[in-house]
Amino acid sequence: MITQRVFGAGFTPRVQLALALILLGGVLVPLSNLLLAPSNPLHVPSYALALFGKYLCYALLALSLDLVWGYVGILSLGHGAFFALGGYAMGMYLMRQIGARGVYANPELPDFMVFLNWSELPWFWLGFDRFWFACLMVLLVPGLLAFVFGWFAFRSRVTGVYLSIITQAMTYALLLAFFRNDMGFGGNNGLTDFKDILGFPVQAAGTRGALFAASALALAVGVAVCAAIVGSQYGKLMIAVRDAESRTRFLGWRPENVKLFAFTVSAVMAGIAGALYVPQVGIINPGEFAPANSIEVVVWTAVGGRGTIVGPIIGALLVNSAKSWFTGALPDFWLFALGGLFVFVTLFMPKGILGLWDQWQNRTMRKKPADDPIEPSTAPLPQPAE
Amino acid sequence: MADPNLLPACAKPLSFREADERKGISVILAFLSLFFLFLSPAQAAEAQLRTILAKLADAKGFPAVEAVVRELGATGDPAVSGPLEALSAGDLYFAKADKSIAILRDGAILDPLSGAKTREGATSAFTKIRVNNGLRGAIRDVLGSLTLSAPDPAVRLSAVATIFNRPDPEAIPALDAVLAKETDATVKARMEEARAAAVLASDLPEDQKRAAIETLGARGDRAALTLLSNYAQSAQGSLRDAAASAADRIRTVLAGWDVAQNVWFGLSLGSVLLLAAIGLAITFGVMGVINMAHGEMVMLGAYTTFAVQEAIRASAPGLFDWSLAIALPAAFLVAGAVGFAMERGIIRFLYGRPLETLLATWGVSLILQQAVRVIFGPNNREVGNPTWMSGSFEIGQMAITWNRLWIVLFAGAVFLGLLYVMKRTPWGLQMRAVTQNRRMAASMGIRTPWVDAFTFALGSGIAGIAGVALSQIGNVSPNLGQSYIIDSFMVVVFGGVGNLWGTLVGALSLGVLNKFLEPYAGAVLGKIIVLVLIILFIQKRPRGLFALKGRAVEA
Amino acid sequence: MTTKAGTILYLNGVSVSFDGFRAINDLSLVLDKGEMRAIIGPNGAGKTTMMDIITGKTRPDKGEVFFDGNIDLTRHDEPGIANLGIGRKFQKPTVFESHTVEDNIRLSLKGERSVFAALFAKNSVADDRRITEILETVRLDGRRDALAANLSHGQKQWLEIGMLLAQDPKLLLVDEPVAGMTDAETAETARLLKDIAREHSVIVVEHDMHFVRELDVKVTCLHEGSVLAEGPLDHVAADQRVVEVYLGR
Repeated sequence: MITQRVFGAGFTPRVQLALALILLGGVLVPLSNLLLAPSNPLHVPSYALALFGKYLCYALLALSLDLVWGYVGILSLGHGAFFALGGYAMGMYLMRQIGARGVYANPELPDFMVFLNWSELPWFWLGFDRFWFACLMVLLVPGLLAFVFGWFAFRSRVTGVYLSIITQAMTYALLLAFFRNDMGFGGNNGLTDFKDILGFPVQAAGTRGALFAASALALAVGVAVCAAIVGSQYGKLMIAVRDAESRTRFLGWRPENVKLFAFTVSAVMAGIAGALYVPQVGIINPGEFAPANSIEVVVWTAVGGRGTIVGPIIGALLVNSAKSWFTGALPDFWLFALGGLFVFVTLFMPKGILGLWDQWQNRTMRKKPADDPIEPSTAPLPQPAE
Repeated sequence: MADPNLLPACAKPLSFREADERKGISVILAFLSLFFLFLSPAQAAEAQLRTILAKLADAKGFPAVEAVVRELGATGDPAVSGPLEALSAGDLYFAKADKSIAILRDGAILDPLSGAKTREGATSAFTKIRVNNGLRGAIRDVLGSLTLSAPDPAVRLSAVATIFNRPDPEAIPALDAVLAKETDATVKARMEEARAAAVLASDLPEDQKRAAIETLGARGDRAALTLLSNYAQSAQGSLRDAAASAADRIRTVLAGWDVAQNVWFGLSLGSVLLLAAIGLAITFGVMGVINMAHGEMVMLGAYTTFAVQEAIRASAPGLFDWSLAIALPAAFLVAGAVGFAMERGIIRFLYGRPLETLLATWGVSLILQQAVRVIFGPNNREVGNPTWMSGSFEIGQMAITWNRLWIVLFAGAVFLGLLYVMKRTPWGLQMRAVTQNRRMAASMGIRTPWVDAFTFALGSGIAGIAGVALSQIGNVSPNLGQSYIIDSFMVVVFGGVGNLWGTLVGALSLGVLNKFLEPYAGAVLGKIIVLVLIILFIQKRPRGLFALKGRAVEA
Repeated sequence: MTTKAGTILYLNGVSVSFDGFRAINDLSLVLDKGEMRAIIGPNGAGKTTMMDIITGKTRPDKGEVFFDGNIDLTRHDEPGIANLGIGRKFQKPTVFESHTVEDNIRLSLKGERSVFAALFAKNSVADDRRITEILETVRLDGRRDALAANLSHGQKQWLEIGMLLAQDPKLLLVDEPVAGMTDAETAETARLLKDIAREHSVIVVEHDMHFVRELDVKVTCLHEGSVLAEGPLDHVAADQRVVEVYLGR
């Protein structure tokens, strides 16, 4: 509990354990892949490294959703959009790094622009040949979109399902936009055929290991940031807004600002997740904007337990592992399983895995209630048309 | 010889002889015609045709052949269509020995006029009469003007349309001839317009051309506009001005029709949106349940239509035109039953937790999609249009397809039906009572759980019959519902939740807005703009166009 | 009408209607500084709507609403009005159920209300002392670490009043503070409100006539959105029109 006093109330023992595991895994997994012989039972094969690297990015995305959904009660059905925008920003950098090695060997223009007979780079592609600029955009573009969107939405008090629906419309509009060839982002095919990142080939084992480590580090930083935020008085305010928004307003707080801050921070985190995801999977296309993707993130978060920081990470890892297994073994049944999971979780474990765990602990140990209680269902009766 | 048949027989060749003379046909023909006067009329005509046909064997070069073709056409005898079509297809030959003309088809030697097998012989004894595209065009023209006097008005109309589309001054006399006899007003008007088009292309005097410009201006469609504006570019002086101003008038009128057409497209899209959204207006608007599986109810309706049609094809093909009528109740029951099961099995445990409802119903939508994918396969399924849903008709310069018209009418009927159920039936009263004050309704003896279940089933069932209609205008695939769900929510939220009229106005205005943006922005960008506008609109008026105000909605 | 000077709340000719229904109709009401007023009236008289107007939740169609002499409340929104010094307790007790009693009060303490201030806020000894003081006032000092969700209905009402006190407002609007309370709790609440009224201006909306009698303050009876009668409770209760309104004609 001493560490908790040093870092803040958000750093519960559980969060500290998660941080340690993430950082440890971030170092050990790539090392085992690089240094151990394939015959060694502790060797992590390259495909698994790539897979888990992807999961880490998903976990960061789920964590970012948890910050707004679990703590402020904003169910965003458009977080995939921030993820994809971060991914596109990184993808643009990677496209520029291809240089003259593309099919058309144009030193300046990416292949798809040559194919579309474009003569020069559009203005919004300028600067993406520099890594620092791309990184800045990874933070700025999703952050700015979230800020502007949130500014309008929260100010006009669009809440609950209405907000969810318009976040979904937002990502849908972006999906349609990025499908267009003349948007200048590669249209249907998106950005792919990356060669290297910061001078290292993206496919090389060493680069993959480094990307894995970077994803783990980013996730750890994300966890730390969320824990710090949640542990502060602002964190309490977030929960207050989630549970009784109008009460905070009559106490003189501005819930729209509370939400806007969390939404923007969350979008930036999602953008970082997308930026780390793209070099590891080697492609970014408009499909990432699909509303279905964003809703899937919600189920990861719900499965792990929202409003718990650690839960969404567990959820993202579990659900995606299940998805990988199903798509390999029983491809026709994955959507049944996923759909069933949605129904099961909302009906039988509204607090997710961590919630169940806490309940079980409370029952066996007769402790005081869990430290991160979930929003109580205050309205047992159906609401009339809102 | 005073043959009473003589006079009419002679009148016809005479009138054509005038044309012949204008074309400068040889004098021999005149003598021959005189000779034919002594034969019976039919024989005379046939003999004349054979004489002209025979010239094909001697014609050197395409212009010469074309002259013969036009001469054949000038006879106005429908019988020439046989040899002309054969010529166009490259089947017309002449014997090397006696220069007699014949059609060679499938190794048989046929008489060019009667088409009967004439003689046996080696096909190698014949030489092909060569054709090129220019000649084929001429043949088409000739055949076109031939049918000008066909007994069927539809044939005449299509013939006159051919002339209109490729105006030829040489068609003027033929047109004048048929115009004098024409009794059908529509055909007559078209003929006059075709004549006017031909006049513009001719070197006739100015006053005739002025009249032609007026005729074309009165026609007022896109084809007339093209003719007039082309003419205005090449003509000089006052004629050019007249043509230009006539073209401008047409443009103004057409712009009006364009607006009308866009409104129609918008209404048509709007009624599709209305159909997709109206069930949602019940489940979301009235009950406050977010049903993300709503689109899948639409999809189930569409697949029910497919299944009904398959069953009809297999067992009673004669009933195919009734397939939609059979599919409607079936789709209502299928989607309604699924909705009922959803409400009883899942949603009733989640009342008051809208976000959880959203997630659970999304899960159901994934399951339904995958179930359909497993049962019917992942690809698009073909749902047939009954005959009364196919084709189109025109109002002024607007084309209206029957399936779109039926869908607009159907959407209106569904809307009115639902309005009736909600406002005029005891069930609707109970529904509204439960949604307004559940506890009070329950204490009045209304069985609220059953009202919930049946209301949800009603909303789902209506989505199902929307699926029947939508199967007529789009692909039926497991993803069908996904393409409608976001639009449907936009409509309901835009129109104002809990208000059927709001849904109607929302759907129609979004449809029209979409179609008016499309010409400027393109379909995809137009849709994006509409989405962005709705997002902005919701922030301005979070409760939609027709929002309920006051304390009740804040609670 | 009296002048605005020296008043804490001044409503003049206020009207508001929802879809043609006039919830407030030419309502005029003046509250002096330091005064406690009880508002009574049948259901639908416009009591809650009046509170909504004062706290900025509803904009009046016409009329003047001034606070503390010359602050035009129609120009401010809810958080702005709260920060001007008007606290409101809802009809249905509204507290942050996932937070402890202490955190509920802490979030309500007067102070800087920006996101960044909240992010870097440190608990000060002065704050802790103030919280203790308030909890003692609202009789909750024994339940400081309890979750608000686990409080009884009456305790939630008190916690909400405590949150109001933490704001240190000049004017408290208290909507049905004793609904659902036991008789003992009701009596306790009346004492609590009278304590509070020593340092604050208070408007209490209540149906419970025993409670209103215990408050022993000037009473305003609202009916159909305007003032029907005003004065000491006995005077108002004796008014023939008030009797008619309550008993029906």
